[in-house]
Parts: sequence; C-alpha cells; structure tokens
Amino acid sequence: MVSLNAVLLISFLLFSIGIAGVLIRRNALIILMCVELMLNAANLNFIAFARHNGSVAGQAFALLVMGFAAAEVAVGLALVVALYRRRDTVQVDDINLLKG
Amino acid sequence: MEHFIETIGRNMFAIFGVMALVGGLLMIASKSAIHSVLGFLFAMLNIAGCFLALEAEFLGVAQILVYAGGIVVLFLFVVMLVEVSKKKEGEVFQLQSRYAVAAVAVGAAMFLAVFRKAFFGVASPEALVLRPELAKGLDVAHQNAQAVSRGLFADYLLPFEILSVILLVALVGAVVLAKTERV
Repeated sequence: MVSLNAVLLISFLLFSIGIAGVLIRRNALIILMCVELMLNAANLNFIAFARHNGSVAGQAFALLVMGFAAAEVAVGLALVVALYRRRDTVQVDDINLLKG
Repeated sequence: MEHFIETIGRNMFAIFGVMALVGGLLMIASKSAIHSVLGFLFAMLNIAGCFLALEAEFLGVAQILVYAGGIVVLFLFVVMLVEVSKKKEGEVFQLQSRYAVAAVAVGAAMFLAVFRKAFFGVASPEALVLRPELAKGLDVAHQNAQAVSRGLFADYLLPFEILSVILLVALVGAVVLAKTERV
C-alpha cells in the first residue's frame, strides 16, 4: 500500500520539473514535452486520490486527461512544424513578431 | 534474498517515482533535443510503473500505449524534421527572468513545508469501490479495466463523448495547421 503523501510528493516534484523546463528552456519542442510532464503529474494525483478514496472517478478522468494530452500534442506539434516552415526556427527567443 | 525482493516489491512506487524524476531532469537538462525526448520517454514509462504500483493496471498499460507508442514517436519525428542540420542552441537555458526563478523557489519552499508536516501518513486500506448496481458480477479488486469502464460509461459518458469531439477537432486542426500554404 502506497501512502498518499509519497505520491503527492513525487507528483509535486514532477510538476515542478515541468514548470522549470517551461521557464528555462528555449526550444519549443522541449517546452511542449514539459507541458506533457505536468499533465502526467496531475494524472498521478488523480490516480492517487482514486486509490485513496476508492472512487472510480479519478481513474476515469485520468483516462480522459490522457486523451486531451494526445489532442494537445497533435495541435502543438502542428504549430511547431508550421512555425518552422515560416520562420525557420523553433527557438522561442527568435519568435518575437508580436513584441512591440 | 527473499527479504530483499520483498522490500523492493513494497517500495515499487518510490523506485518508479524517483526514476521518473530522473527522466524529467534528463529531459530538461540535456543539450540535444533527441536526448530530451529519450528522457521524456523514460519518465513516461516510469510514470506508467507508478500507475501500476497504485493498482491502476488499465491506466498503466494505456499510458505505455499512448505515450511510448504514440506521443514519443510523434515528438521524435518532429525533432528529426526540425533539428537536423540546425546549429546547436547557443544558450540552452534562459535565466534572465530572475523573478520567475524566485517565484518557483518560494512555491517549492511552501510545498515542502506542507510535506514536512505530514510526511508518510496512514493510507486507506480499501481498493476501488463501485456502486453496488455497477459492481454486479464483477471482482472489482482484480478486474481493473472492467471496473473503470463501468464507471466511465455509467457516470462520465458525456465527458467521454466531448473528448471524442475534441480529438476530431484536434485532428482536423493539426492537418490544417501543418499543411503547406498552396493546395
């Protein structure tokens, strides 16, 4: 039996790694992967609470979140490819068209 | 020896969790994007292990199928499409926004204070529980996929259908975004 606090700690650390990646990396692809990591940390929380509470809702919604993550990756990668085609870069520092 | 194996079996979640953290750190720390994708893959597989350790067998397998089988391959395709013959990132990290780093540090300190207070408390003994009319003829403790599907299709059918529409929209949107201008 896994204690809830251990799961929450791991999930929190995973989420922090995701946020750190989004803040410090410049490659748009890696930023997308960090967003995925954050979604997975949230999923881990869902499942931990489902396990703790005995409710099936957490697992059902974790499955739904997984589907949303797949949709998000498809759109995000399409955006990256379109961006690369137009600007020839995926570094977020070089994408400053809207900067005044 | 048996004692050793038993200890490992009890602490499966911690082992998988720590390895997932290692994968995440590899992902954000490596210079080459391919290595980042591999770190991401490692993290996802270990999170699937965490799901299994939490007795969510169906979701663990779905995690491996969706992430290792689909999303990581998609990322690898795009990385190889975009990163090949590109010059290396001159500066890998951007730490110029010191306020963001400070905010993250403060948030981490707060969370750690919360965790220090109640570290490793008592855990509930019961596994998944379904409503009696849904659990009819089902060994809930050992048939995870069936239990999740009964809960999903009984109580959460509308979110499930909305998800299917969103996937369709994402499919069409991805094609529209990624296609060339003149077709």
